[in-house]
Amino acid sequence: MPIQYFLLLAAALFCIGIYGLITSRNAVRVLMSIELLLNAVNLNLMAFSNFLDSTEIKGQVFTVFVITVAAAEAAVGLAIVLAIYRNRDTVDMEQFNLLKW
Amino acid sequence: MAHFLLESVWLVPCYALIGGLLALPWSPGIIRRTGPRPAGYINLVMTFFAFVHAAVVLPATWNQPPYEISIPWVSTAGLNLSIDLEISSLSVGAMVVIAGLNLLAQIFAVGYMEMDWGWARFYSLLGLFEAGLCALALCNSLFFSYIILEVLTLGTYLLVGLWFSQPLVVTGARDAFLTKRVGDLFLLMGVLGLFPLAGTWNYTELAEWAASANVNPTLITLVCLALIAGPMGKCAQFPLHLWLDEAMEGPVPSTILRNSVVVASGAWVLIKLQPVFSLSPIASSVMVAIGAVTAVGGSLIAIAQIDIKRCLSYSVSTYMGLVFIAVGTQQNEAALLLVLTHALAAALLVMSTGAIIWNSITQDITLLGGLWSRRPVSGIAYVVGILALIGFPPLGGFWALLKLASGLWETQPWLVGVVVAVNALTAFSLTREFSLIFGGKPKQMSDRSPEVSWQMSLPMIILLAFTLHLPLVLQSLSLLPSWATLNKDVALLLIWSSVFGCSISSVIYLGNVIPKPIRFPIKPLQDLLAYDFYTPKLYRMSIVLGVDLISKLADMIDRLIFDGIVNLVGLISILSGEGLKYSTSGQTQFYAFTVLLGVGVLGMLVSWQYWGVQFLDLMF
Repeated sequence: MPIQYFLLLAAALFCIGIYGLITSRNAVRVLMSIELLLNAVNLNLMAFSNFLDSTEIKGQVFTVFVITVAAAEAAVGLAIVLAIYRNRDTVDMEQFNLLKW
Repeated sequence: MAHFLLESVWLVPCYALIGGLLALPWSPGIIRRTGPRPAGYINLVMTFFAFVHAAVVLPATWNQPPYEISIPWVSTAGLNLSIDLEISSLSVGAMVVIAGLNLLAQIFAVGYMEMDWGWARFYSLLGLFEAGLCALALCNSLFFSYIILEVLTLGTYLLVGLWFSQPLVVTGARDAFLTKRVGDLFLLMGVLGLFPLAGTWNYTELAEWAASANVNPTLITLVCLALIAGPMGKCAQFPLHLWLDEAMEGPVPSTILRNSVVVASGAWVLIKLQPVFSLSPIASSVMVAIGAVTAVGGSLIAIAQIDIKRCLSYSVSTYMGLVFIAVGTQQNEAALLLVLTHALAAALLVMSTGAIIWNSITQDITLLGGLWSRRPVSGIAYVVGILALIGFPPLGGFWALLKLASGLWETQPWLVGVVVAVNALTAFSLTREFSLIFGGKPKQMSDRSPEVSWQMSLPMIILLAFTLHLPLVLQSLSLLPSWATLNKDVALLLIWSSVFGCSISSVIYLGNVIPKPIRFPIKPLQDLLAYDFYTPKLYRMSIVLGVDLISKLADMIDRLIFDGIVNLVGLISILSGEGLKYSTSGQTQFYAFTVLLGVGVLGMLVSWQYWGVQFLDLMF
């Protein structure tokens, strides 16, 4: 099983994440899409780490950091969503368009 | 002393100019306490100095070669402009006439402008005119003649527009300026076109050049036509004659000057340029044609006028037309004699009618009448003016017309016919005016009409005496054509035409056979002449209409197209800003999308070289 398959899978996952990121109306689903993106990145890191750097596996170290930071980011993200929800009583992304022209 | 005066005769124009400048402080806005009269007195004194200076110098120049002075003016690369002056008996004599007539006109104005506050403006402009005319007489350079003519055009504008609160004065001054300006501009073209050919603007050198010049006939014809156009406007020749009619709105004393001397300024340049004109037979024929048409047309129009001043203004056009004929047929001496005799006679006529107007208010000759018994001085002045203008021996006009006609007798007999006809028509029109003003029964406007005060009658009488003495003066200077060599047939023709014109006119207008006002059998023809061939309409339908339409079109193009293009740029900027601001939608997801789009497009561009060809192969 060559590395390309892993990379393609990661890219597909990334694209799905992007699609979700741009189209979701629910703010929580946007955060979930961001998690998909991060996981796609993690897949890439793991694949490269296995195929190209199997001795020092720096990719795996990166992945650990990414997971850590992703968890923190999701926490902050949910906090922001909650804060907005308290003010505006909704999590619909299309209602958050006050900062326009 | 005489030598010093001769050397400094160029001061004559300066006297008048200084007088004009010194008059200005008495404008009503500056010196309020003294009233305007000192302005006139200062000018009179300065003009008197100018007259005396020129008159004292005149005998010294007699039978002497011309004395030339050249004052460098501007010297740039390849062009040296010097103010050339020629002190000859001719130029000094012209200055004597100009200063003398101006002196008389200014004395006349002391009386005429009695109840007017505008002396400062009036006298300073008269001073300007005298200075300009004297400088023109002295000037021996075409270029500086042109400059002086332009200054005088501006002077005409200001002098005609003296009483600018009258609407007809404003339009008259406008027409006088623009019409003469058009002629002057053509003159400028001619002046500039002549320089590369002749290499000089000095009249003397131009004459030398013209004597042996070998130039393209078409070229010299065009240049000569342009040179004719300037005097054509100045001398109120067809078709640039309307301004003189409208310039009659100005004050009478300035009319004295204008009718006698100012219109002759164009003729002066024309006479000086005669050697150049002789290079082109076509230009000479054109000059003769213009002169003949104006002479006949002007004398016919003068017959049909009812305004006392306008009758005379068309006679001025007529006589300037005769000067054109004289120059066109290479008769400079006849032209100069004609200018001189016409100046005196025309000034006398205008003075006489001005004196009538001053007391009788109306200028409509159909409302005047029966003044002969109560206004003998004005009447005699008018009669002498008529006789001195038309061919009536032994007065001046006869000799000038005789000289002109005998010169034409051998070469162009039909022009003799024109001269004789014009003489008869002018005799008719002037006698008609005399009969209507002085003859018949007094009408309402002329019922009580006292003779004018001495300030107006004195210059009239002096000028009357000068006019009567002119033949004697000319004879003593042996300027009169000798009787032996003159054509007696022509002399008889002239005398008969004068007698014919005068007698028919007096029979018609003094007799009671024909009911007044006279109706010509053909009414449209009478109207055509009375309305000056409808020249204002002609102007308005042709040149004025054309220029007006073009300027409106140009204005529209400027406003709509050029302004529109520039404004469109601004509008597009505004609209694009207004439109593009909606790209800032406020949706975070949209921003994310645009970021991705940008990254994607950039990535594609950067990596195109690695997959683009295969992609294109795959697609097409």
